[in-house]
Amino acid sequence: MSAVSIEDAVGQIVLPGDVLVLSTQSRDAPLSLSGPSTSNRPRVVCGPGLMRQEDDLLVNKCGLLRHRDPAIYWVDSQQKRYVPVKGDHVIGIVTTKSGDIFKVDVGGSEQASLSYLAFEGATKKNRPNVKVGDLVYGQFIVANKDMEPEMACIDSSGKANGKGVIGQDGLMLKVSLGLVRKLLIPQNDIVQELMNIFPMEVVIGMNGRIWVKAKTVQQTLIVANLLEACEYLTAEQRKHVFSKFSDNVI
Amino acid sequence: MAAGFKTVEPLEYYRKFLKEACRPDGRELTEFRTTTINVGSITTADGSALVKLGNCTVLCGVKAEFTAPPADAPNKGYVVPNVDLTPLCSSQFRPGPPGEEAQVASQFIADVIDNSQMLLKEDLCIAHGKLAWVLYCDLICLDYDGNLLDTCMCALVAALQNVRLPSVKINEETGLAEVNLKTKHALKILKHPVATSFAVFDDTFLLVDPTGEEEGLASGLLTVVTDEDERLCATRKPGGSALAAEKLQECISRAITRHKEVTNLLQEALASVKSE
Amino acid sequence: MEAVGSVLREYGCEQSLLSRPDGSATFLQGDTSVMAGVYGPAEIKVSREIHNKATLEVILRPKTGLPAIQEKNQEQLIRETCESVIIGSLHPRTSITIVLQIVSDAGSLLSCCLNAACMGLMDAGLPMRALFCGVTCAMDNDGTITLDPNFRQQKESRAVLTFAIESTERKVLMMSNRGVYSATELQQCIAAAQIASEKLFQFYRDFIRRRYSKS
Repeated sequence: MSAVSIEDAVGQIVLPGDVLVLSTQSRDAPLSLSGPSTSNRPRVVCGPGLMRQEDDLLVNKCGLLRHRDPAIYWVDSQQKRYVPVKGDHVIGIVTTKSGDIFKVDVGGSEQASLSYLAFEGATKKNRPNVKVGDLVYGQFIVANKDMEPEMACIDSSGKANGKGVIGQDGLMLKVSLGLVRKLLIPQNDIVQELMNIFPMEVVIGMNGRIWVKAKTVQQTLIVANLLEACEYLTAEQRKHVFSKFSDNVI
Repeated sequence: MAAGFKTVEPLEYYRKFLKEACRPDGRELTEFRTTTINVGSITTADGSALVKLGNCTVLCGVKAEFTAPPADAPNKGYVVPNVDLTPLCSSQFRPGPPGEEAQVASQFIADVIDNSQMLLKEDLCIAHGKLAWVLYCDLICLDYDGNLLDTCMCALVAALQNVRLPSVKINEETGLAEVNLKTKHALKILKHPVATSFAVFDDTFLLVDPTGEEEGLASGLLTVVTDEDERLCATRKPGGSALAAEKLQECISRAITRHKEVTNLLQEALASVKSE
Repeated sequence: MEAVGSVLREYGCEQSLLSRPDGSATFLQGDTSVMAGVYGPAEIKVSREIHNKATLEVILRPKTGLPAIQEKNQEQLIRETCESVIIGSLHPRTSITIVLQIVSDAGSLLSCCLNAACMGLMDAGLPMRALFCGVTCAMDNDGTITLDPNFRQQKESRAVLTFAIESTERKVLMMSNRGVYSATELQQCIAAAQIASEKLFQFYRDFIRRRYSKS
C-alpha cells in the first residue's frame, strides 16, 4: 500500500510496511521531546507497532490503528508473546531464589529480577516469605530491550497497593494479550458483571496471565472458562451467556 | 588512526571509500581480485585444479570410481560435488560434520552442474545398467576470504577439464571390467559455467567479488552463473537488501564480461599444462 | 487459464491454529500446503545470542524422513529473506524460531514456505519493516511463463524460478532457480512475479481485515 494520511487510517487495518503520512500541521511541529505540546502543534507519540521513518510513520505490526488525543497513535494487534514494558503490572512465577534477588518468569524472552527488598515492609532483617513457585503480582520498574527487566512489588512510596505474593489457591490461566487489554479498558464491565454473578477475587496481568479465585473450585473453573470465552463474544452475546449463569446461581 | 577508525566503525570506514567509488584494497567496485588458476596440481588425482581469487584459495580434486548406475536412469553416471570448509581455512568453521555454509555451497554447485548441462551424464556410463563412472569432486577451501562460490565454480570447471579417464572395456566372457591405463581420454565438457558474486552495500552500491570482510559488512549477496551463450544457469540471492530489476540487469552484464575473462584464463592454464 | 497463464492457483490461509507457538499459520497454494509455527522473541542460549539483534532460526521439516541438504539450502534462503524484513534490533539477545512443516508438496513449494513464514510472523506480531511473498514461475521451452506451477508443470518446464518480493517497492528480496534461461527471460519472470505479488499482498490485507473484523 502506498502512503496514506494517518487520519484516514485510524480504526483501519494496517500491515507492516505501510507508511502513514502525518498531516502537515503536526509535521511542522518542532521535534522536541520535552516541552509542552500546544494545542495547534501536538507532539506525535508512536505507540507499539509504529516507528519513525523520516517525516512519516512506518507500521511494523499488523492490526488496527488506534488514536488518542492529542496525537498518540498505536497499533492494536492480537499477539501472544509478551514483551516487558516499563510500568506494566504483570503476574510472574518465582523460579529461583539467588542471594538478594528472585528470578521471576513473566513470559518474556528473559526472566525478570525481583529484589527481596521490593516488598512492602521488607527489610534486611525481615525478609518476605516468598517461595519458588509462588505467583507474584508486580510492576516493571526497569524494562527495555538492552537490560534485564526488573520488577517491584511496591510503589515509589513503599506501599504494596495490591501488589505482592498472590494467595496459595485459586487458578492462573493464560489468555491472549488482546483479551487482557480488553478486560482492563476502564469502560469495560466484563469483570464487574462476572463479580455480580460470582463473588470472586481476580488479578489481571498485562502479560496475558489472569488469576481468579471464587467461592468454590467449581465456580473458579466456570469463571475461568467464561473469561476465556469473552475474547470472541460481543456485548449482547456475553450478556446472554452471563444471564444463564446468574439464574442458576440464584 | 585509520586502523582505529576501521576497528571501531567498519561500516563507516567502507562508506568513506565507496563514496569515492573505490575499495580499501585499491580495487574499483567492478574489479575482481587477481585470479590465479593452476591445473593438474595433484598428480594422484584423476583431475585437479587450484584456484586463487586474491586470498581465497580452493583446491579441487576429482576422483573417478566405478559404480552401478542409478536404477531410474541406467544410462547415466554421477557427479558428486562436495565443498569442505575445514577449520584450517577460517576460525569461523569448527571441525566435525559440514556446517550450513558448506552444505549450501555443495548444493549450489550440484544445481549448477545439473542446470548448465556442462557434461552429459550419459557420457559417464560404461555399460548400460551395469557400470558407470562416479566423479567425486572434492572442493577443499584452504584459505577463506569471501566469494567462496566463484572460486569453487572456477576450480570445479578447471578440474573437470583436467580429468583423464582410462578407457574401460567389459570382457564378454568374464563379465569383468578391464581397465586400460595407457589410453586415457578427456571428458566432454559442453558448457563452462562461471559464477560472479556481488555484495550489496547500503542497498545502493554493488561490489563485485567481495572479500570475507566485505561479505560480513554487506547487506546482501548475489551470485549469477552464466555460460558461454550468455544464458544464466543460476542466480542466487538469499534474502538481504531488496534489488530492483534494473540493478539485476547490471549484475548480469558484469557477469557476462567476467565469463570472458575467466574463459581466457582457463584456456591459458590448460594450454600451459599441455605444453609441459 | 488466462492468456499467458498469468494466474495463480487458488490460495488460502489460516492463522493462529496452533496453541503453543506464539504465531502460527498454514498456507495453501492449490494442493501445496505448508504449516508454520513461530516462536519469539524467546529465551536464547548464551552461546548463540547476538548482542545487537535477534537470532533467527528456520527449521524446515519435510513431509517424510529427515531434513537433507536440499532442505538446508531452502532453510538458508528463507532465513535470510525473513532476516531482511524483521527488525531484529528491537529484540536483541533473543531468539526467533520459525518451524515450517511441509504438509503436502504439489509444486511451488519454496514460495508456499515463504508465504506461510510471512503469515506466521505476522500472527506472532514480530516487528517487520515490510511484508514479503513468494512467487514461483515455470518457463516452457518456447518461453511461456506459468505462474505458481503445479508438480507436473514444474517437471516439464525448462526453468523454474522462485522469487521473494517485498511489499513496499516490489523489489526482489530472494531469488533461487533451476534450469537455464536468458537475461530477458529472467526480467520477464520478475515482472510477472511482481504482478502476482500485488494479488498476494491484497490477499494478505483482506485476510487480516477479515480476521480483525471478527474481534
